[in-house]
Amino acid sequence: MSDQEFDPMTDHEYDGIRELDNRLPEWWLALFGITIIFGFIYWLHYEFGGGHTQVQELNLAMGVIQSVKGSGPSFSEDQLNALFTAETVGKGHEIFTAKCAACHAAEGGGLIGPNLTDKFWLHGKGTSADIFEVIAKGVPEKGMPPWAEQMTEEELVATAAFVHSLKDRNVPGGKPPQGEEAP
Amino acid sequence: MKNTTETIHYDDRIVRYFLMATLLWGGIAFSAGLLVALQLAYWKFNFNLEWLTFGRLRPLHTNAAIFAFAGNAIFAGIYHSTQRLLKTRMASDALSKIHFWGWQLIIIGAAITLPLGYSQSKEYAELEWPLDLAITAIWVVFAVNFFWTIARRRERHLYVALWFYIATIITVAVLHIVNSIEIPVAAFNSYPVWGGIQDALVQWWYGHNAVAFFLTTPFLGLMYYYLPKAANRPIFSYRLSIIHFWALVFIYIWAGPHHLLYTALPDWAQTLGMVFSIMLWAPSWGGMINGLLTLRGAWHLLRTEPVIKFMVAALTFYGMATFEGPLLSIKSVSALGHYTDWIIAHVHGGALGWNGFLTFAMVYYLVPRLWKTPLYSKKLADAHFWVGLLGILLYYTSMVAAGFTQGAMWMAMDKGQLVYPDFVETVVRIVPLYAVRAVGGMLFITGFLIMIYNLYKTIKGAPAPQDEAVVVPARVEQHHAGEGHRRLEGMATVFSILTFLAILVGSAIEIYPTLSIHRYVKPTTKVDPYTPLELAGRDIYIREGCYTCHSQMIRKLDFDVVRYGKPSTAAESMYDRPFQWGSRRIGPDLARVGGKYPDLWHLRHMVDPRSVTPKSIMPTYGWLTQKNTDFLGLRRRVSVLKSLGVPYSDEQVSEADRLAEQQAKTIADGLVTQGAPAGLEKKEMVALIAYLQALGKKGGSDE
Ligand code: HEC
Ligand code: HEC
Repeated sequence: MSDQEFDPMTDHEYDGIRELDNRLPEWWLALFGITIIFGFIYWLHYEFGGGHTQVQELNLAMGVIQSVKGSGPSFSEDQLNALFTAETVGKGHEIFTAKCAACHAAEGGGLIGPNLTDKFWLHGKGTSADIFEVIAKGVPEKGMPPWAEQMTEEELVATAAFVHSLKDRNVPGGKPPQGEEAP
Repeated sequence: MKNTTETIHYDDRIVRYFLMATLLWGGIAFSAGLLVALQLAYWKFNFNLEWLTFGRLRPLHTNAAIFAFAGNAIFAGIYHSTQRLLKTRMASDALSKIHFWGWQLIIIGAAITLPLGYSQSKEYAELEWPLDLAITAIWVVFAVNFFWTIARRRERHLYVALWFYIATIITVAVLHIVNSIEIPVAAFNSYPVWGGIQDALVQWWYGHNAVAFFLTTPFLGLMYYYLPKAANRPIFSYRLSIIHFWALVFIYIWAGPHHLLYTALPDWAQTLGMVFSIMLWAPSWGGMINGLLTLRGAWHLLRTEPVIKFMVAALTFYGMATFEGPLLSIKSVSALGHYTDWIIAHVHGGALGWNGFLTFAMVYYLVPRLWKTPLYSKKLADAHFWVGLLGILLYYTSMVAAGFTQGAMWMAMDKGQLVYPDFVETVVRIVPLYAVRAVGGMLFITGFLIMIYNLYKTIKGAPAPQDEAVVVPARVEQHHAGEGHRRLEGMATVFSILTFLAILVGSAIEIYPTLSIHRYVKPTTKVDPYTPLELAGRDIYIREGCYTCHSQMIRKLDFDVVRYGKPSTAAESMYDRPFQWGSRRIGPDLARVGGKYPDLWHLRHMVDPRSVTPKSIMPTYGWLTQKNTDFLGLRRRVSVLKSLGVPYSDEQVSEADRLAEQQAKTIADGLVTQGAPAGLEKKEMVALIAYLQALGKKGGSDE
């Protein structure tokens, strides 16, 4: 408070309550003024000054994401087979339990999604590349989520390694075959 | 002119009634709050009873806290202080009684209907149309009684507390009526006339200003009366009162859209919401500093007087909350904070700290005076203060931490990919903080119980209470004395009209343009309305309060888009009555969940969420597989929507039930082939699944 503060008493009195008429604190007035000026400038900028609309801002941000993301993982059959090791299968098993078991059952015998332990495939022929592809891109219209958005490349490979290892294990209680038989 | 005096009695009985109601409902509101807090820490605290699930109980908690606890506190304080500030008894004891009993009946109605699932799903306006009508009637009774009392006053000028009461009464009436324009479709069901972005805007214009004109202006009025009375000090600055009053009333009403930043609400409305929120900072603090500086020279009371302690803490929390509010309204801060527990922390700083503590201060001030007996124990009041304060701080810090943590996890991206793509990971991380929050709530309640005991002991030993008698001038000539604003303070009607105009400007400028939705949706955009079965499912979604945990609004933010898909558009929700954008993501956004999972997944998830997402905290909804869908009621529902402009064909109206049954059969048959039990086609579960699978699939996403 500055020295110039003064305490003039008004003649107001209500049920014993009296009122002083102190000056408005300067910092308070300044704060009020600054927020009004800021608000006005901000408004002018976005309404008339060519400030980006939210859609423009989003498009810029999505452009950045596209540029750092690259074209998405792609592997050849041989590359994948080389990556499918006991270690990746083990890691894939964990991921499968956490993310896939809800639809394919813990053992892979199928539940909402098809049995992954038989020789029948809805998509492709059960090659390493086919399995990787369907996991990465999913079949959204049939309820198989695309996982490339949700997993790193290593995780995708590990999961595919595990699913590949399930092939033809024919766990008991699995769903009846769907799709076409592949040797 | 002869200067005679007379003796009158203030009606203190009604004040005691409202005070008792405040305490009773306070206990219920706080307990309901604790229960919902516990349910987030451990979902089984809903005891698997549909009436106690989070979605149904949360509205009960918020409504009880706002309208039952704070509401009765406001009425107690207004009835007590108004009579004294105007030197006259309330104009009509009958109206006072109708107001009291009517309000309590409405609360009881709410306490029964909300757990039963009768809800409009509009936050703090969930009550269905019969109760909406009752609220309007009782509010009018209150207003008539209040303004009639002003007309009969023996005081020339209106003190600042009364300005705030006037603003409260007028604005709450306008907000409630406009937000509740709805068409009944059943005894306790209705659809609002507003749809999509209109409904969103009107609802948050209401929701935000319920905070402003139900939890702020009346409490400022109470502060302006009880603080100088308790401290026996003059108000710091009359001119500050004038400026911050008008600034607050004029600016507050614009700020609603800050609840909808980055949503499908048009940019211009969001910008207005943000800049007016920032401009609110100083006017809000004006109230705080006028209160705190009034205590200059009386700070020693802080040590000895519990009333002053509670008031100073309340004003400090008010200052914190009104700093945090504008901060959260900044678009980039909202991007982090929106949908998280930071918002929950924010409102509880306000509700527990400002409204709660100010109410407690008022109660500790009033009880000894109304019962003419000193407080039983100041020590216990002190204990209440410290335990309560600790509770609030624990609540606040844990929820801010939870909000920051979850918000940051949602935003985190690495090489264009989400670091935490699995939503439930972000929930599991904050569950321990939910437990800490519940402890905070328990402490707050412990303090409250200490107060109840203290008051019980005080009142028990008190003589039978009587109305206070005072000697007042027989009549006061009501000529308009003074200059400028002083003159205005003598003209109650003009003052009230000006207040009304002040809130009208922002309201009209923001709401009017959205009334013609076609400004925001291209005429070529085709959006299909929900099929009758999906509509039935939607009404179940609303009944169960799924919106309390799930948003349906993907914001125009990269991390939202990567997680949930294209941003939601105004077109997509234009037929949604009421809109379901939501305000909190305890679970993931559902705007585009349609088609994401097979029907069987939803069935299993709804019956037991943990069977598909082991760490989920979502309640189980097993009873949906037992209850039958109300197919017959659908004709009326569809026809009401058609009359509101939703493009249903005549066949869809007249055949609504048959069409719904057909679609239900198809879905149920499909479920059977996937391995589900037979016989679900008549069950509500199938209708709900139909609705969930329709979300994001009705067109209009390419705006
Ligand atoms: C929401 C349920 C769901 C989840 C979760 C899910 N899937 Fe699927 N999955 C399906 C459905 C449904 C299909 C069948 C799609 C079709 O009919 O074309 C499928 C198909 C597949 C196929 C192709 C099978 C074939 O016969 O061609 C593979 C491989 C697969 N899923 C692997 C996975 C893996 C690995 C995961 C975990 C990362 C996973 N799924 C998670 C539902 C799911
Ligand atoms: C207490 C908060 C809460 C309530 C109430 C609630 N949910 Fe959930 N919901 C969650 C959480 C947390 C998740 C994420 C974990 C999971 O999958 O269960 C979730 C997930 C979901 C999902 C999966 C979304 C996705 O993209 O994976 C759907 C669908 C869903 N809920 C529907 C509903 C419906 C319908 C209701 C009302 C009947 C409802 N929820 C009520 C908390 C809630």
